Amino acid sequence: MLKILIPSMFMLLTTWTSPFKQLWSTILMYSFLVATLSLTWLAMPTDTGWFYINNYMAYDPLSSPLLVLTCWLLPLMIIASQNHLAVEPENRQRTYISLLISLQIFLILAFSATEMIMFYVMFEATLIPTLIIITRWGNQMERLNAGTYFLFYTLAGSLPLLVALLIYHSSMGSLSYLSLTSLPLTCSNLYANKLWWMACLLAFLVKMPLYGVHLWLPKAHVEAPIAGSMVLAAVLLKLGGYGMMRIMIILDPLTKELSYPFIILALWGVIMTGSICLRQTDLKSLIAYSSVSHMGLVAAGILIQTPWGFTGALILMIAHGLTSSALFCLANTNYERTHSRTIILARGLQMVLPLMATWWFLASLANLALPPLPNLMGEIMIITSLFNWSFYTLILTGLGTLITASYSLYMFLLTQRGPIPHHLILLEPSHTREHLLLALHLLPLLLLIAKPELVWGWTA
Amino acid sequence: MNPYILTILLFAMGLGTTITFASSHWLLAWMGLEINTLAILPLMCQSHHPRAVEATIKYFLTQATAAAMLLFASITNAWITGQWNLEFMSYSLPTTLVTVALALKIGLAPLHAWMPEVLQGLDLTTGLILSTWQKLAPFCLLLQINPSNTSLLLILGLASTLVGGWGGLNQNQLRKILAYSSIAHLGWMILVLQFFPSLTLLTLLMYFVMTFSLFISFKVNNSTTINSLSMSWSKTPIISSMVPFILLSLGGLPPLSGFMPKWLILQELTKQSLAPLATLAALSALLSLYFYLRISYAMTLTMSPNTLLNALPWRLPSNQHTLPLAITTSLTICLLPLTPAITALLTL
Repeated sequence: MLKILIPSMFMLLTTWTSPFKQLWSTILMYSFLVATLSLTWLAMPTDTGWFYINNYMAYDPLSSPLLVLTCWLLPLMIIASQNHLAVEPENRQRTYISLLISLQIFLILAFSATEMIMFYVMFEATLIPTLIIITRWGNQMERLNAGTYFLFYTLAGSLPLLVALLIYHSSMGSLSYLSLTSLPLTCSNLYANKLWWMACLLAFLVKMPLYGVHLWLPKAHVEAPIAGSMVLAAVLLKLGGYGMMRIMIILDPLTKELSYPFIILALWGVIMTGSICLRQTDLKSLIAYSSVSHMGLVAAGILIQTPWGFTGALILMIAHGLTSSALFCLANTNYERTHSRTIILARGLQMVLPLMATWWFLASLANLALPPLPNLMGEIMIITSLFNWSFYTLILTGLGTLITASYSLYMFLLTQRGPIPHHLILLEPSHTREHLLLALHLLPLLLLIAKPELVWGWTA
Repeated sequence: MNPYILTILLFAMGLGTTITFASSHWLLAWMGLEINTLAILPLMCQSHHPRAVEATIKYFLTQATAAAMLLFASITNAWITGQWNLEFMSYSLPTTLVTVALALKIGLAPLHAWMPEVLQGLDLTTGLILSTWQKLAPFCLLLQINPSNTSLLLILGLASTLVGGWGGLNQNQLRKILAYSSIAHLGWMILVLQFFPSLTLLTLLMYFVMTFSLFISFKVNNSTTINSLSMSWSKTPIISSMVPFILLSLGGLPPLSGFMPKWLILQELTKQSLAPLATLAALSALLSLYFYLRISYAMTLTMSPNTLLNALPWRLPSNQHTLPLAITTSLTICLLPLTPAITALLTL
């Protein structure tokens, strides 16, 4: 635990004291080292319960896949950002890398926190570096609006969470995860308890995002630079899912009735955002809405509180993290060449960049949840457990799967197949770092086919 | 200003506050407040600009009214209870009157209208003294009286946080923004006054540190509007990169130290079964956060193409003393992990 956290903290020092010519290589090497070390967390000595416990941090099968994803993502972000930052002055490059590293530190602390207030503080702390990355290094004027939406949606959801946690703390005495299972809140059916339930969940629903409160996500994802989009899609959304899974323990038995509208909203959101994807002209916006769609399925899976639901949600979170981040990297390769996110301006790329087309193909297949990828495993488990909960959800989830497949195919066909536009006369060939980036995204996904037990959480 | 006169005035300000701190007799407390007010008046109008003189007069009138109300309340208390002691106010009329008088003195809503206009007429240093030092003496008195009516302080507090948030939204003059930020923070301090007075003191001290950093950062850039802040990245890049953190700390975002008072206040309010009030106060902090965020957008997170926005300021060599700024900025950003130690100190 500390052997990952302390090197991450000291990477901040490395960023500022490395000689400038070796900055990116050094940081990349160290972040890969940390990522490799973090893989040790996947080896869970006990299938249930907590391991590597100290006073403030602990890991269990729920948080370790997310932690490994976080640590894995930092070198990928570094690789992705190197090109577009090369034109900036030295200190700004160092600042950007420091923001990415500090984001990783906060995320490690958030996922490994044992006490809910610590989780809350770190959950909020991740907002600040992300806000700065979006508003300072985003490329369009709308990034300011995006930053404001991002910050205020998340804060408006999470301030009631703080009050709800403090209420729980004042009545139960402890907010440590380790004791939460033995301290359910005995609540009568007062209206205030329903409000408390709502306050506990709202922050995570906004973060996931749930369909009705998802407006911040397309803005933030689209306006962020590539590293911002990657970390948002891959990890920050999963903070919402992780928080929801943790806090569900204390929310029984209210959840049985109160979660109905949110499950329906989540499933409806799968369909709605999927349909919006079919009409998008902006590539990053398409991928952002596809994120909302997948996370709607995750939210529904968590809210029904069954073992398969939780397992499916966790697997889908990990798989979606890798897939969505890969798609954003692919969109960024287009953006760096044409400086536009419009899909129709860069079509037919299979003729021009055939190797990149392979990655587009794999990423699109992962997005539509092709077997045997873990995306499918997660989706199937969630859909099955939803079907068990109520037959009628199959209509929504089935339709959702269909729409997901259509827009993934639409995205692939539109960007890769068809005639090349006449105005594309000079596109740089694919760089090896772009290939490396995508390989590093998709290889773990393929490797997870062989041993999904690493990421499926508590179910032994 | 003549250094001797300046010394006398600053000394008199210090004396006034110290007299109020040391007093247990109402007349002495009132006297300290009046000395404090009188001493700062020449400092406020030292530039002889009509706007500054207007601000001085407004300040004088409101503070004199408040002090007179305080005097009347203490006389009424003396008439009813026969003694002048600060702590032994047990009747509701004098206590309420004292609370309202002190609310006018520090600028709580709904008695806040003088604050933005007065701060706008002052230069940044005097404004800093007004926002920080001048609040010490009234708070000292507020901490010592037993409140008669629970709801009065809660209404004052909640109204201040809301007014401080909404009022600052339409401003682009920095001093008015700082005034509304002051009103909002004072609201938070008053919310918890009757439950856990040490938290009021903690919030006050944290507010002093944060607002000192902000005032001095603005002073280093010699800017009083949001637009003129946009060139600060070329003059003082490091201060420009620290100011968003100071602003977000003022807004109460974790993991910056501004979160600490808000967290502890919310904890105390929920312990007192005032959870809806806590939620409302927390959400009102979002209003203030909007205009803090807007300042940080203008200053650091966007680069203005400039020369068209405002006249390019001369970049003269600066002999500003930035050591206090460095210290307070570090405290503003990094103090949150020390919360257990600070809470332990509070309960001494």
